[in-house]
Amino acid sequence: MARRTISLVLAQLNMNFAISYSRYYYLKKRQRLWEPVLIGLAIASGAITIAVGVYKVARFFYSATAPIGQGDVTLTLGILASQVIVLILGFVLVIAVFYFSNDLSILIPLPLRPAEVLASKFAVILANEYLGLAVFVIPVLVAYGLLAGVGAVPYAITAVLVFLALPVVPLVIAAIPAILLMRVAGLSRRKDTLAMIGGFMFVALVVGFQIFIQTRAPGRGEEAEFLTRVLSTANSLVDIVGSRFPPSIWATKALAGAGTLSGLLNLALFLGAGALAFAALLAIGNRVFYQGVLSGFEAAARSNDRSAARLRADRYAERSPVASLAVTEMKLFARTPVFALNGFTGFVMFPVMFVVIFFVRRTPEMARIWESFISAPGFEAIGALVVGAHFLALTAFSSIPFSAFSREGKRNIWIPKTLPVAGRTVALGKAVAAEIMILLGALPGVAVLEYMVRLPLVSLAAGIALGVISSFTLCLWGVLFDMRRPMLNWTDQQKAVKSNLNTLFGALFGIAAIVALGFVVHLGLKAGVAGWAVVAVVGGIATVLLVAAIRVLDAAADRIWRSLEV
Amino acid sequence: MSRASLLRLEGVSKTYRGAARPAVDDLSLQVRAGEIFGFLGPNGAGKTTTIKMVVGLLTPDRGTVTVNGHNVAVDPVAAKADIGFVPDNPDLYDRLTGLEYLNLVADIFGIPKAERSRRINELLEMFELTSAISDVIQSYSHGMKQKLALTGALLHDPPVFILDEPMVGLDPRASRLFKDMMRNHCDKGHVVFFSTHILEVAERLCDRVGIIDKGRLIACGTVEELRERRKQADESLEDIFLELTEPGEGK
Repeated sequence: MARRTISLVLAQLNMNFAISYSRYYYLKKRQRLWEPVLIGLAIASGAITIAVGVYKVARFFYSATAPIGQGDVTLTLGILASQVIVLILGFVLVIAVFYFSNDLSILIPLPLRPAEVLASKFAVILANEYLGLAVFVIPVLVAYGLLAGVGAVPYAITAVLVFLALPVVPLVIAAIPAILLMRVAGLSRRKDTLAMIGGFMFVALVVGFQIFIQTRAPGRGEEAEFLTRVLSTANSLVDIVGSRFPPSIWATKALAGAGTLSGLLNLALFLGAGALAFAALLAIGNRVFYQGVLSGFEAAARSNDRSAARLRADRYAERSPVASLAVTEMKLFARTPVFALNGFTGFVMFPVMFVVIFFVRRTPEMARIWESFISAPGFEAIGALVVGAHFLALTAFSSIPFSAFSREGKRNIWIPKTLPVAGRTVALGKAVAAEIMILLGALPGVAVLEYMVRLPLVSLAAGIALGVISSFTLCLWGVLFDMRRPMLNWTDQQKAVKSNLNTLFGALFGIAAIVALGFVVHLGLKAGVAGWAVVAVVGGIATVLLVAAIRVLDAAADRIWRSLEV
Repeated sequence: MSRASLLRLEGVSKTYRGAARPAVDDLSLQVRAGEIFGFLGPNGAGKTTTIKMVVGLLTPDRGTVTVNGHNVAVDPVAAKADIGFVPDNPDLYDRLTGLEYLNLVADIFGIPKAERSRRINELLEMFELTSAISDVIQSYSHGMKQKLALTGALLHDPPVFILDEPMVGLDPRASRLFKDMMRNHCDKGHVVFFSTHILEVAERLCDRVGIIDKGRLIACGTVEELRERRKQADESLEDIFLELTEPGEGK
């Protein structure tokens, strides 16, 4: 059985990383050899830049905390932060990989126990997590190892084991509610909707709780006592931070005491917690995993005389091609749980963050700072810019425009490709759909911001206008970018959005745009330019970029569309 | 009087990147108004590649494809407006209802409300899909998806109807209906171009057939003409096909 499971895991990893596929296309057929080289270089340079940054921060943090006997908190914070990220993103990943992989209909008829299939899918998620975590966790481990003067060999062995076990517990914590949710949702006719609502609630809960904990400052007059208590005990900060999640303390103590008995005990505790969590997941999975998956294969059919009668009464909505494509795009996105959970998570996270920060920070001191902030000169204009930036950030991180064509996949791209519709029309339809979804998704965040800040109506209107212009610009560029190089060959829907380099580039473009516009604002305000003039300049830049995007759409979209071969 | 060619391929070639030989090699054929044309060939012969070039999913390396007078490479939108296409595996948008899918197709083809209502109802009744049309496509069987794809492809009454292995997944009743519908479609002066492995169907239904092997068109004409060329009056299309594609395999 072990060999069978290993073979299954290897096959899953092969598919996940497209190993055979890449070998065939890049090595045997020697197609687009430049592509993996270029992509590899881009990813490596990005990863190295981030890793170096994290390493520097970790060194700085250690140097600042070590003199007061709190150096180990560097490890705890690094481990805890990465585990929280795994927990937040893990839920969506688990639902996508466990329940919406294309190969489930092949795996389920095989003589495998549900736990084996589940374990192989879990291995796929773990492998993906390692890649992401490596950039953030390894620099912290290296920085601590070099500065703390621990024994090199025992520390290195412990570090490898800790790194490998790091995402297991948070992933299991995310996976168990996901499996139970899908089991319950499977009983309903509206299982996709239930899965999505459950997913958003989970993300909102975790994000809200995390912010609540982090922003819970000591009460008035308690700060001095709090600090004295922290500083009086070596590594008590580790205990305070880690008390929210004990495995992070065990990992810290295992690393800090590598080679000692205490270190070994903590390592055993950490690895044991991971093994126990994994065993619990397999036990639960063996009972309920397949039921959730199988219910996903059944789509609710309502075929009866009533639906036939309704058809005659149904409106045959007549729309323009752009409107029809946009409506179809929105329906497909919102009705596909994996896409919606990925694309709309930001829409939920931002308002939750705003609300939690607002209520938690409502102390008199914060209120005073807040008052001085909102009564500062030029605040109305800055408020408008913040609202605009909110739209732009959501567009960049939603992945909606940058995966517009990729989401069609090999299965469905033939539909728009064979319909008599020009490339620019298809691209415009998808960009309009993305913009409408982002606009609707941004409004709750804007409403919360407005409640908190009480921006004048003119600022709010200017901010929304700025946001719509800038986010539609990014939508158009994103759709064109994805049309040029769509990732159509995916094995599960999650890959179309999360393993798609186009969405990564989208996020980077968005961040770059926000930073660049922020720089323009900074320069303007520093030079004494009036706030509204700065808003006008930013709006002007966004409009120029929008016009450029429309020009490119008109000039190149048809050609790009024609050159897309399926 | 010779009838107009609604579908014309002239010297069409396509080689996939990295492939040793062309998938389609210098292929020329034409299908005249009112004809049902069967496109036959063994697995990997180039049938689907040819069809993909006709409907705009692939671009030929050389040669031209003309649909109802429109060059597919030069004016793809006009050419596609005259095509109805059903692929071999009709993967549709699973999360739309059947009616939403048909409305999308009708919108793109610019079919007015009254006309689309009439056509959709007519086709759905023919394929017995009416009661399922408000359900999501995900709940459909393979055959139902095939029928929905056929409905979508026929909505605008296309002059050129192209199908890749259309009989797969259809039950005998739907298959019979479909064959009648193909004949009726051609009787209106349109053309039907379809690939198939079912040689009996091709022999009974097609006005002309083309046999492709290793990317080259090795025979084209009526079944009678093919028999005459081989001087074997009692040969079936299956015998001709096997002898042409695997010499020595025929009767």
